[in-house]
Amino acid sequence: MAFYEENPGEIVRADVLVGIPTANEVESIARTTAQVDEGLSEYFPDMQCAIINCDNHSSDGTREAFFSAPGKTPRLYISTEPGVGGKGRNVRNFFEKARQLDPKALIIIEADIKNISPVWIRNLGAPILEGAGFVCPLYGRHKYEATLTGSIIYPLVRCLYGRRVRQANVGEYGFSPKLLDTYLNPPLWNEAIESLGVDIWMANIALTSRLPIVQAYMGAPKVHRLKDRDVHLDVLFHEVVGTIFDLMQVYKDFWEQVKWSKPTALYGTDLQEVETPLPVDINTKRLHEMFVEGFDKYYGLWEQVYGPIVAPKLQEIRSMGFQHFSFPTQTWLTIVFESAAAYRRMSPVARKNFLDGLLPLYLGKVLSYVKKTERMSLQQAEEYIENECMMFEENKSYIVKAWTKGEGG
Amino acid sequence: MPKILVVDDEEHIRLLYSEELKEAGYEVITAESGYKLLEKIEEGKPDLVILDIKMVDYNGLDILQDIRNRFYDLPVILSTAYDTFKEDMKSIAADFYVVKSFDLTELKKKIAMALEARLPG
Repeated sequence: MAFYEENPGEIVRADVLVGIPTANEVESIARTTAQVDEGLSEYFPDMQCAIINCDNHSSDGTREAFFSAPGKTPRLYISTEPGVGGKGRNVRNFFEKARQLDPKALIIIEADIKNISPVWIRNLGAPILEGAGFVCPLYGRHKYEATLTGSIIYPLVRCLYGRRVRQANVGEYGFSPKLLDTYLNPPLWNEAIESLGVDIWMANIALTSRLPIVQAYMGAPKVHRLKDRDVHLDVLFHEVVGTIFDLMQVYKDFWEQVKWSKPTALYGTDLQEVETPLPVDINTKRLHEMFVEGFDKYYGLWEQVYGPIVAPKLQEIRSMGFQHFSFPTQTWLTIVFESAAAYRRMSPVARKNFLDGLLPLYLGKVLSYVKKTERMSLQQAEEYIENECMMFEENKSYIVKAWTKGEGG
Repeated sequence: MPKILVVDDEEHIRLLYSEELKEAGYEVITAESGYKLLEKIEEGKPDLVILDIKMVDYNGLDILQDIRNRFYDLPVILSTAYDTFKEDMKSIAADFYVVKSFDLTELKKKIAMALEARLPG
């Protein structure tokens, strides 16, 4: 339960409930809250709505800014204990409070989105009221944005769970209260999920729920506060990839049965105004350096984990130099599949070092993707990723085999 | 025997698909437009729909949204003479997108994959 709660309007129930997780978001919470309020008022005028700020006990005035933001929708503030951080903890507090309020639809929105508009609330909430179980947004994205999603999350999660959810790790979702039981009594909850792993954890659980999944087209890119990308990537990579690998152990009986993949329903295609994403600069020289540094540091580990077929291929890739650098998809998917299987058999300490070693391989894959798609349009780059996803699906039997290797029987 | 509904306003395409797909072991039913298509699906209970995009009175991409909303997991393959519709966001709700050709090898491959696709539950 939340350590602290402030419910000035004495809210006891809400049909549509929006949660905004925060940690020191004084600069952005007021605007986000006002946009959420507008969205609720405009698109759900006949329903009881409420907004919850689920906070990490911010000391910068987030709570005050939340309550003083313009709008009429009733508000509630809950917080973790002082010094206890993590988006996942805030989201869990949101689930707990939500259960008491008996909602028909729940929405989670990150506080730091600069360009959120009221229609986003409709797009995330309306499909749930129409019977969907989980709504995942589809933002306009530049081809070099969210490369972790394009390289690992989308192909792997799609191949495992059989549903084509393009941006499963975005941080904003709509979901049905039917998912609350699983979210509150989850098969897995750990430190990574208490932090940045919570987004993919929510989507992953929804994918195994057998409830209809909808992707909501938002008509715009998601513009959010610039975080220190390099520092952030390391943590994000560990928590997100680690969470996917952890959940593979929980849902093995599910993903083992999945063959090929299926699309989702799509919502929000009526949007008239569509914004093109801004170009993303990517430092390819730095990516190459990080791959080479990783090669020198982790080749021994890679040889041990990926075996005699992949290891020489990695040497070959290393020897190509920057100009001709290329990371074959077949090698990449073998690495991802073998990594998931190897991770399962490792101790928690070994897992950390192992993910450290997987990171430079991922950066090499990103470099290869950038080089291959530099002259491609967004649509062509998207088709390139779709083809890679098909290769993951075609090789699904490999992961099943790798997973059970050494188990006998 | 899986049943396929071919929706296309061009008669020669309906005939070509019918003949070839019957030969490949499928039962085939056809519709010449999107008119009352949801009802036809309800009645005919096809296992898969092959849907033209650019029909005289109907846009297959709009029909696709309706199909997906009512028959969530019914496999739909978009079949069109144009590859440009792929850029339309709506096309992602289809299982596959195939550019029309007299050689149906690709289409048959996608039909097999869409019918084989399996999720637990």
